[in-house]
Amino acid sequence: MDVALAASAPETTDWERLAARSRLRRRTTTALLYTVLLLGSLPIVVPYLWLFTVALSGRVGASTFVLWRTLAVLLPALLIWSILRVGIDDRRRLRVCEIVLVIVTFVALAVLTGPYLHTGNWRFLWNANIADQLKGAAGVGGTYPSVWTAFGNSLFLAITQMVLVAAVSTLAGYYLSRFDFRGRGGYLKGLLVLHAFPAMTLIIPIFLLLHWVGLLDTLTGVILVVVALELPFAIFVMKGFFDAVPWDIEMSAMTDGASRRQAFLLVVLPQVKVGMLAVAVFAFLRGWEEYVFVRTLLLQKSNWTMSLYLFWMSADVMGTDYAMVSAIGVFYVLPSIILYTMCQKYLTQMTLGGIKG
Amino acid sequence: MRHFRFLTAALLAGTTIIGAATAAYAEEVVVKLWSKADRSGPLRAGNIVAAAEPLNAALKAAGSDKTVRVEVFEAPDRGYDADALDIFKAFAVNQGPDLYVAAHEWIGEFAKSGYAMDMSDFVGKNPWAFADVIPVLWDATKYKGKVHAIPQDSEIRMFFYNKDMLRKIGKDEAFIEGLPQLVEKGEFTMQDLSNLAKEVVDKGAAQIGMIHRPNAGPDYLMSFAAFGAKFVDPDSGQLILPKAELKRGLEWYAANAANGITPKNNTSMSWDEIQAAFKTEKAFIFHQGVWAVAEWMVGDAKGANWPNDRKAYFKKIGWIHAPAASKGGQPANLSHPIVYVVNPKSKNANLAAMLVAYATLPYYNTKHAATTAHTAITNGQTSMPDYVNAWYLDAATPMLARSSFIPNHPDFGRYNGILFKALQGVETGRLTPAQAIEFLEDEMTNELKTSVKVVDKLS
Amino acid sequence: MTTAPRLRVWLDRILFLGPGTLLLVMFFIVPVVVDVGIAFTDMGRDLQVTGFTTENFRRMFGGDRRLPSVMLVTLIYVTCTLAIFNIGYGLLLALLTTALPDRAGGFFRAIWLLPRMSPSVVYALLWSWVVAPTDFGLLNQALTAVGLPLADLKSNLPMLLVVLANGFIGASFGMIIFTSAIRSIPQHLFYAAQVDGAGGLAIVRHITLPAIRWQLSFVTIYQALALLVSFEYIWLITNGGPFFDTTVYALYVYRRAFENGQYAYGAALALGLVLVGAALALVLWRFFDMRALLQKPRIEVS
Repeated sequence: MDVALAASAPETTDWERLAARSRLRRRTTTALLYTVLLLGSLPIVVPYLWLFTVALSGRVGASTFVLWRTLAVLLPALLIWSILRVGIDDRRRLRVCEIVLVIVTFVALAVLTGPYLHTGNWRFLWNANIADQLKGAAGVGGTYPSVWTAFGNSLFLAITQMVLVAAVSTLAGYYLSRFDFRGRGGYLKGLLVLHAFPAMTLIIPIFLLLHWVGLLDTLTGVILVVVALELPFAIFVMKGFFDAVPWDIEMSAMTDGASRRQAFLLVVLPQVKVGMLAVAVFAFLRGWEEYVFVRTLLLQKSNWTMSLYLFWMSADVMGTDYAMVSAIGVFYVLPSIILYTMCQKYLTQMTLGGIKG
Repeated sequence: MRHFRFLTAALLAGTTIIGAATAAYAEEVVVKLWSKADRSGPLRAGNIVAAAEPLNAALKAAGSDKTVRVEVFEAPDRGYDADALDIFKAFAVNQGPDLYVAAHEWIGEFAKSGYAMDMSDFVGKNPWAFADVIPVLWDATKYKGKVHAIPQDSEIRMFFYNKDMLRKIGKDEAFIEGLPQLVEKGEFTMQDLSNLAKEVVDKGAAQIGMIHRPNAGPDYLMSFAAFGAKFVDPDSGQLILPKAELKRGLEWYAANAANGITPKNNTSMSWDEIQAAFKTEKAFIFHQGVWAVAEWMVGDAKGANWPNDRKAYFKKIGWIHAPAASKGGQPANLSHPIVYVVNPKSKNANLAAMLVAYATLPYYNTKHAATTAHTAITNGQTSMPDYVNAWYLDAATPMLARSSFIPNHPDFGRYNGILFKALQGVETGRLTPAQAIEFLEDEMTNELKTSVKVVDKLS
Repeated sequence: MTTAPRLRVWLDRILFLGPGTLLLVMFFIVPVVVDVGIAFTDMGRDLQVTGFTTENFRRMFGGDRRLPSVMLVTLIYVTCTLAIFNIGYGLLLALLTTALPDRAGGFFRAIWLLPRMSPSVVYALLWSWVVAPTDFGLLNQALTAVGLPLADLKSNLPMLLVVLANGFIGASFGMIIFTSAIRSIPQHLFYAAQVDGAGGLAIVRHITLPAIRWQLSFVTIYQALALLVSFEYIWLITNGGPFFDTTVYALYVYRRAFENGQYAYGAALALGLVLVGAALALVLWRFFDMRALLQKPRIEVS
């Protein structure tokens, strides 16, 4: 009997402590995840940041002076920000703290890096003969085109290509989605093979083809090539979007008296706007950054695109000005980054994404 | 009376008509000049334009009604090889220029295709312009023994060596100042040069013994020529690949890299690094050309300040040819002249040739030579004040006597590029010299096919 | 008045499919035919064909001393980049970023997509500067900060450089695919596993990985093919490496044709790549839901 009485009271589980412990564990795992990912992202972010800082502050050579100072300000700022987000729960107080942090960061940046900033590296924007001045005495005609020529060419290439790809792939995607015809299966299978097909291997015959047709050394030729290579992917994406549009919309439009094509234009097209946007953005980015085909198929300097301009300006032919090259690089990369951040949501949803290896 | 008045009227009318007709025939002749837009030689085109002035004066004095105007087309190509190909294309579609600037090694192909006028007679008939041209330069303008172009400029390449470093390791002034003479006489060889460089590095006076350019170029051909390599068969005009001689040259480069005299990654360094290494006195020897003196050696470019005047400069730096390969042999040097070529099928060929004759005069040529550090083409230039003031040119001109030229063969650019790859291979240790020779043979026969003849050894 | 139905059908077909088909035929089919043709000629720098010969293939299969090492380099490059970065790092990133709340994960994924979205010239330029052998290169600054000697990756470890540079780009593709795959795993599986006491690693091993097996295989083949034929970044960063050290097959084809002027030989080499590419592309067929892809269209043609 005494033994039984001496038995200990039934154990009560300390839920509070368990909950606290698991919360702590979760918080530490999350913090660890953030740290690891942050460190892993540094090799990506720091070089781009370096490009920006040198473009704004470098003189002749590229230096990392301003970069380290910028990082010295930004990294603690990021750290404090993440602590704030995790620590403070009150929305309004969080906002206020964030604003204060942003102001402090700006002031710190201004103080530490301000004196070194200058716009001298951007002189290529208003000085058309910059390459000749940079690399030696100018010839009577000038050897390098102005950056605005290259910019114009790039813009022309990217936009024309974007419009063509969007238009052609929309048309083809619609037809493949809605119509049956003999050979449709084969056509789709062929598209699939072409989508994965290594287009780069065909660069030699494409060069010869354009030469024989007389489109070598023209932007038109390059545009056609890049459009064609972008098409399989684009057609598939558009077909996917069209497949997702229920056909009763069209049916009802047609029973209301619209012709097939009218139904397409007025009713179905607006439904796939997102797809068209995604395809257009991909095409634009591809055209903007095109290098291999432009380098191979364009010969005259007046046909240069930004990629070639940057490449030749950074080429070390008897020395070059790295600070100015950084500025050109920033000038070139900015549209890509802006476009990418704006449309990023749509792009990451693409499951057939990715064009380069 | 009426007849007389009628006659006068008719006479007056007639004279007026004839006069007007003659006035209409006082024509302006436009001579089209094609020139590669070269940052290091804007006056190549500029001199021709300026030469129109004395030509027009001479025409007027001779009573001709013609006036000449030069129209310049500046091609944007990066190099003379690409430019030559563009000129060919223009000729093929009948849009060729009347007169053009070209690198001399292309004369063969131009002449073969009938785009380069045979100037031998013209030169003979105009000694006032051409008699004083430095004789050896004509070699660069010949194809099958005939002169097909007029020299426009030249340059000279050399090994620059740092005399201060030699003093630091204890060499006496006699040796230091006498080095160029020893090289000239053939008593100081390539191997001696390597040994000297090694000595300088070993004794701590320099970090790098010898350094050269990081990309393909004519410089290396000097060294190979010093080992006896010839690149073209003078009779057939075909390119030669002399395996034994090139092997010796490659062995020399390989040994330099292996012994720490030349950095193994010389061919992937940047120009800035290389020039700065020599300027900040980390490197003992630098192999390049005379224009480097004007460009960065004097003054404070590339990280150090060197004297601007002749005496102080030569107290610090000396110049030598590529030494002979073995004692008693000949040192070698290299020059790469640019030339003017006249299109024989042009209507204005003679006027174009006359423009070239005027542009060859010392007054015009020195303006180009002195401002862009190219060497003179006539002996008379060397005593002009502008030329003398460009003292580095004056000092370099005697070295022209030793210079050879790269062959007048259109495939030579490719040849040179492949040779550079082999050199890169042995310097970085990827290829042994024997493997490099195999590589050369493979690549050259595949790429140049019948243009090149492989020989085991030059006799 | 409507046009005759048959005519309208054909007009529609031409209007909608015509442009696309024309472009595809002109720049995919015709070049392949041209390539086969040129491979049997002796086209050189002057772009003239003077004779037909099988010399190029003889050279490919025995006479080219550079080819074996080029193929070895290609093999090393593809397998290392694929295994370490495209699959390995891509999977790691997907796992890590999906463990975070959506917005944070998306933020990191956006950062990792940046190299792929920025122009290749800029990316290559940045890499060249980062590994610059002098002490202004970022890598060397980091090394000297911890006391290590200067490194010259471009000269001494060019393969490492090339694998890293392409890997950063490649990882982003796998990351996207795997992320969407992981996201589509039903949540209740995770809860059940956690209730059963499984730790993070165990969950990954037993639930996540098996669920994305299809995507793993797909990414492997797809990226292997892409790596096999791409040479843009290698070309920009090392230009084939000191001597031929980082010249992969695709770059070798390009240089033989456009730098050495041996167009016919380049076409023959390219043919080999085309065949391998077509074979791998056919393998990829298996991975697409053929039924869904080829599903009957909604509206039959009238």
